[in-house]
Amino acid sequence: MPEWVVVFAVTCGYLVISLSVGLLSGRKTSSSTEGWVAGDRSLGFVVLYFIMGASIFSAFAFLGGPGWAYSRGAAAFYIIAYGTVGLVPWYFFGPRVARLGRRFGYVTQAELFAHRFESPAISGVLAVISIVAFVPYLVLQMSGAGYVFEVLTRGHVPFWMGAALAYGVVLVYVFRSGVMGVGWTNTLQGIFMMGLAWGLGLYLPHKLYGGVGPMFERIMSEAPRMLSAPGLGPDGSPWSWGAYSSAIAISVLGFSLWPHYFMKMYTARDERTLKRTVVWYPTFQIFLIPIMLIGFSGILAFPGVKPADEILPTIVTSIGISPVMVGLFCAGALAASMSTGDALLHASASVAVKDFWRPLFQPDMPDRAERTAMRVLVVLIGGLAYAFALFARKSLVALLLFGYGFIAQLAPLAFATFFWPRATKAGALSGLLAGFAVTVVWDLVPSLQWLGIRAGIYGVAANVILLVAVSLATAPPDEAHVAEFVVG
Amino acid sequence: MDRRPRLLSSRLTRTQRRVYGAVTVFFIAAFLATMWPVQAAFGGALPFVLGLPFDLFYLSAILVGSFFVLLGLFVWEGRREEREGPGGGPAGRAPDGPRSGGS
Repeated sequence: MPEWVVVFAVTCGYLVISLSVGLLSGRKTSSSTEGWVAGDRSLGFVVLYFIMGASIFSAFAFLGGPGWAYSRGAAAFYIIAYGTVGLVPWYFFGPRVARLGRRFGYVTQAELFAHRFESPAISGVLAVISIVAFVPYLVLQMSGAGYVFEVLTRGHVPFWMGAALAYGVVLVYVFRSGVMGVGWTNTLQGIFMMGLAWGLGLYLPHKLYGGVGPMFERIMSEAPRMLSAPGLGPDGSPWSWGAYSSAIAISVLGFSLWPHYFMKMYTARDERTLKRTVVWYPTFQIFLIPIMLIGFSGILAFPGVKPADEILPTIVTSIGISPVMVGLFCAGALAASMSTGDALLHASASVAVKDFWRPLFQPDMPDRAERTAMRVLVVLIGGLAYAFALFARKSLVALLLFGYGFIAQLAPLAFATFFWPRATKAGALSGLLAGFAVTVVWDLVPSLQWLGIRAGIYGVAANVILLVAVSLATAPPDEAHVAEFVVG
Repeated sequence: MDRRPRLLSSRLTRTQRRVYGAVTVFFIAAFLATMWPVQAAFGGALPFVLGLPFDLFYLSAILVGSFFVLLGLFVWEGRREEREGPGGGPAGRAPDGPRSGGS
């Protein structure tokens, strides 16, 4: 039997299992919007842990992480650095978010912020920003899936068919089961990804160099620049500490505020479950170490691979492992893509209805109509992202650059929501808009990025200044209303 | 109503404030330790520790340290709740929840 058929068969086996788990998991939730979006607020520790872990680790981490380590050396360490404290804020404000969600029926992030500041405009702005950040990210995940299929079956399964197969499965289980489908498939996918990352991360240095220590010793003697932080820039010259540090800072600010993660705080069964998830999250984060080891193992053994993101598939198809193992690798890479893509697809549809359409155009929208609209949007957004993946992928990559910079602008808003009673609607809205505007301008004009400091940092600075100044210049909000949200 | 920014609930006990304050300081320090200038002081590859370049080991150690600090806080809160009943976390209780059971 040709090798590519074995690879394809193993991968299809994984897709069938994912689809079955996704469809079966939605049977016990209610038919309400709360059931579809927040799983009736009933998720336990194991599912929540894997949702958070697997949603965060995308095709970018699985293919891009080794690519960064391979081409830019220690620069890739920033991905580990921001994860050390990235989710910690959840421990402190997460339980409060979850309780407010139960009390007021929130299922999305913008519902909370818009209610705190009594502003449907904030909801609309956040919805637009979320979808602008989500769609390119979703396209990237689909592209990763199509690409993995195409490379590992040596072109027998073309890009369009690979992406359609993987995301056809995602679309069906998200449509049918909502967040429960996302949760249980992420559990399966997370276990698979972690096993594969640790397996390959330890196996490849051993096979190619005799172990992790000997691998780094050889790199140290032949390419020492790769091992010293802050590593190398995209052009191969030394990266600046400004760029390295600001990449960490902007990622930490945005990490816990991505709307599709934030929404998961509403799904927790109780406060202790949510806190336990945050506590154990670093055990997922540490799987970035074997991901890095995979990339480092290619530096001396497979020089000159371009683009660098191809290093992992290149190694896997070059070291003579069995086609079953290549198929498992293909499934693992798809798991990384699908476990992020499903959460994005689910969140995009939820945000579009709950944060944009309903508050701005149909405040009395019935629950049943909401859920129907969300399901229709799952299909429409999935189809749109697929079309972009086929025909306009490159033009969307530029939008991804704004992603973390935009999401980091929510940090001052979140702080003001919970910790500053004096913050007003006008202050919050003007801070947000100024932050977004400055981020866009500073991103489009790189010469403004002094010392290589990321655009989002300048955006946050402008955001904070406007938030404070305008809040102090406008009438304070109603005390009784604000007391519902802020630390008392 | 006091409209100044506040990180910790005024309903926390003195012990709670000390514990949450120390944890907050730890995580701010951990955050700063991953960036310039602190990380720059530990940004070299040598010496290798457990087979890893020192800068990678350094970040891994912060990650593991963060895990144990938060785990310690979680266990401490659990024991305290067993002893005294639910008592507001660092950000206190939302209005629908029971008020802090501070002692």
